[in-house]
Amino acid sequence: MLANYLPILIFVIVAAGLGVVLLGIGFVLGRGQKDQEKLSAYECGFEAFEDTRNRFDVRYYLVAILFILFDLELAFFVPWAVSLDAVGLFGIGAMGVFLALLVVGFIYEWKKGALEWD
Amino acid sequence: MTFTSAHLVALLPIVVLGGAAIVVLLLAAFSPSRRVTTGATAIALAATLATLPIAARVIPLDVSPLIRIDGAALLYTGLLVACTLGVLGLSTAYLKGLGESVGELCILLVTAALGAAVLSASSHFASLFLGIELVSVSLFALLAYARDEKPNLEASLKYVILSGVSSAFLLFGIALVYTELGTLEFARIAELVPLESASSVYIAGGLGFVIAGIAFKMSLVPFHLWTPDVYQGAPAPITAFLATVSKGAVFVVLLRYFMLADAYAYRPLIVALSLLAGASMLLGNVLALLQNNVKRILAYSSIAHIGYLLVAFIAGGAVAIESASYYLAAYLASSIGAFGVVAILSSGVEGETQTLREYRGLYWRRPWLAAVFSLMLLSLAGIPLTMGFVAKFYVVAASIDASLWVLLALVIVGSGIGLFYYLRVLVTLYLEPDDVTPDGARAAAAPSGHVVLAVASVAVIWLGIFPAQLIDVVRALAFTNG
Repeated sequence: MLANYLPILIFVIVAAGLGVVLLGIGFVLGRGQKDQEKLSAYECGFEAFEDTRNRFDVRYYLVAILFILFDLELAFFVPWAVSLDAVGLFGIGAMGVFLALLVVGFIYEWKKGALEWD
Repeated sequence: MTFTSAHLVALLPIVVLGGAAIVVLLLAAFSPSRRVTTGATAIALAATLATLPIAARVIPLDVSPLIRIDGAALLYTGLLVACTLGVLGLSTAYLKGLGESVGELCILLVTAALGAAVLSASSHFASLFLGIELVSVSLFALLAYARDEKPNLEASLKYVILSGVSSAFLLFGIALVYTELGTLEFARIAELVPLESASSVYIAGGLGFVIAGIAFKMSLVPFHLWTPDVYQGAPAPITAFLATVSKGAVFVVLLRYFMLADAYAYRPLIVALSLLAGASMLLGNVLALLQNNVKRILAYSSIAHIGYLLVAFIAGGAVAIESASYYLAAYLASSIGAFGVVAILSSGVEGETQTLREYRGLYWRRPWLAAVFSLMLLSLAGIPLTMGFVAKFYVVAASIDASLWVLLALVIVGSGIGLFYYLRVLVTLYLEPDDVTPDGARAAAAPSGHVVLAVASVAVIWLGIFPAQLIDVVRALAFTNG
């Protein structure tokens, strides 16, 4: 049974090997002049403004969560729409329930002010 | 799959709970009144209890491969939903003291109860995992309900991380079982396991991982390290929820797995559970001796109690279901009562009332609460005329029946040690109050909490004196499986 997974193992080995070899060639053959500028983070040609590890507003997090929620909804919708003939009335009902739940959750977060920026 | 009206009737408790979650969600968003939200939640939970006799008419019934509604499922759903109702009663006064809104607590309690109901009726690894996650994810937020309290955040964070790890173990175990058997249905596993070589690495490893994940949720030694810290840090009513509904639901699903997948025939699993049960009884009781914090004492005591519960369950056979069900009911009632007293005393008190010192002379200040607390401690210790005694008697009888001598010895040693620390708390309640006893911090009035305590006390005494009333119900329901 495990033999079925052999191609995956080969794929993993080739992928890892390729990565190691390419980086290794660059590391061995490269004539790096490692000065301060070259070792600093690459920032589209200008100096870095600040450290990346600073705090940011929790509201971005809320928006991100909402995005993931509706993104996942889409991921459910596409296979459902494609197989609509097969799932029939039961499928439409099930998706209706799912959508209704999602809408209720949306109403809740709207009412609670999760969508207000101020 | 054809879906008939009988299926819908059987699913009624779960449907009502699911609908309740939506209604409460909308109420929490639109109604500013605490009373409306809590009242609606209480009615919804009571309605769920009321649907159980209706669903009982069509059992046993496989609603889908995921869910099998039978007598046991309805019995445990009833127990766990009743406990949720109790936690709701304890929470209202506590939250008023904190000045937190009550809506989200109601939503999360209902979703957690939904998870418990799904677990009680689960017959498939997918519904097992979904149920456990419903309970756990609701608990993440419930544990940190008082957002400004550091201990709350600490408890929640510890639980989130460790619960995530244990869920990963559980999923990996389920995946391993699936690789070998190609099915996730409990009943199919029962058919397939004897056919496969019983010593298959995948089955043994997979079930081992599943047991590790489940043992974590039930806080069995050695997966118990989070328990005292989380119990101590969480808001007291939520600690009650964690100790009763969360643990009870996971135990119930373990019981279902053993019944439906006939796992008693699989020896390695029984050996593993016996080791966990023995370690839990011994370590839970010994570590409780060293604590000076009432919540931590109760946390370790709950570890030991799940150990006793497992002994009844390991014994196997008809008496096992009966004794485990009775023990579970006794444990739930006593724990709700014991944590309930802590919750009521902590309502509106900065940092909660939890060190043993603060309980000194409680009898002279709050005689009613001290009396309830004493009753619950006696029940947990297994003193006659309480549910705890009959439950422990059952465990001993079941283990003698199955000749589990080592586990029986550990039950007896554990109960002996247990008696010591329960009495230590008990004596503290009745000591003369000294001048260090804080009297300024009066707990907020909690009428609904007192009702919960009264109901739990009546249940503990009444069913302790007349256990047959509960046992008859258990017998009538738990054996409809056929």
